[in-house]
Amino acid sequence: MASQAASSFNGNVKKALAGLRRINLEGLRWRVFDAKGQVLGRLASQISTVIQGKDKPTYTPNRDDGDMCVVINAKDICVTGRKLTDKVYTGHLKERTLKDQMAKDPTEVIRKAVLRMLPRNKLRAERDRKLRIFAGGEHPFGDRPVEPYEMPPRQVREMRPRARRALIRAQKKAEQQQQGGNDAKKGKKREQTAEVAA
Amino acid sequence: MNKKKVFNLAKGFRGRAKNCIRIARERVEKALQYSYRDRRNKKRDMRSLWIQRINAGTRLHSVNYGNFMHGLMKENIQLNWKVLSELSMHEPLCFKALVDISRNAFPGKKNVVHPPKKVSIPVSVWYVGRFVSLVSLFELDV
Repeated sequence: MASQAASSFNGNVKKALAGLRRINLEGLRWRVFDAKGQVLGRLASQISTVIQGKDKPTYTPNRDDGDMCVVINAKDICVTGRKLTDKVYTGHLKERTLKDQMAKDPTEVIRKAVLRMLPRNKLRAERDRKLRIFAGGEHPFGDRPVEPYEMPPRQVREMRPRARRALIRAQKKAEQQQQGGNDAKKGKKREQTAEVAA
Repeated sequence: MNKKKVFNLAKGFRGRAKNCIRIARERVEKALQYSYRDRRNKKRDMRSLWIQRINAGTRLHSVNYGNFMHGLMKENIQLNWKVLSELSMHEPLCFKALVDISRNAFPGKKNVVHPPKKVSIPVSVWYVGRFVSLVSLFELDV
């Protein structure tokens, strides 16, 4: 039923639907989070609030009442600073940087971020099952009543002076290179278009 | 206490603590200590839970808990936290009225909280006990 409906979803449909029977789905909403252009931690914090059910006034700590969360475009998640190369995921005597992890499995980045924000109790595993993350923009739950989640607007702080100057320098350099390239290759064409226009 | 009393109190304990007097006596003593402590903790825990519920309820109406309480204090509404949390769970319209009162108490205050967007998809009726059923019954702007 779901697999036939989402014919455009090319991915592991079985994995996406895994464990759905264990969750008591009655009365829960399906919220879709678009991770495109969102900062990793800020998005994860919102997801963890929704998954715990803390945005509902009927929140009860011993009962798991959070909504199902579907995250799409996981590969377009952003991080600030030098985290792409400097943030390291550690295992037993093994390390992997954010960049490598995104290349290998971008969904794991968000999953770890959200999982580490949930309280460490017996409901943690159930809540993990409610979280479905997809690297692309499609999800196989199209036939259910999904609701898009609107992220609260973010206050981006002003760039530090040094970083700002570096950015301006980089922009100018890019412009110069582009102009230099245009002049060298397309100089003749430009003259011709100028003649035609005039 | 004599052994009979101890074993009565040790019902449901794990392993030998419910059967053997030496172990049961220790465990029962500890259990009574915990229950003494937790009779005081329960009041704190319940208040914390009420605050979380009120917070969730007011954020649906784009007000956070702090501003809501500030407004109520100013308007001299002396409802206690237990009642406020019950209202937020079971009486959404009444709670919305309270939030409006609190918001109007400070007209110039900037809106810090952004409520979730209104759902255009019709919310189906779920069984009572889940929050969304009440919302659909009253067709709230949530």
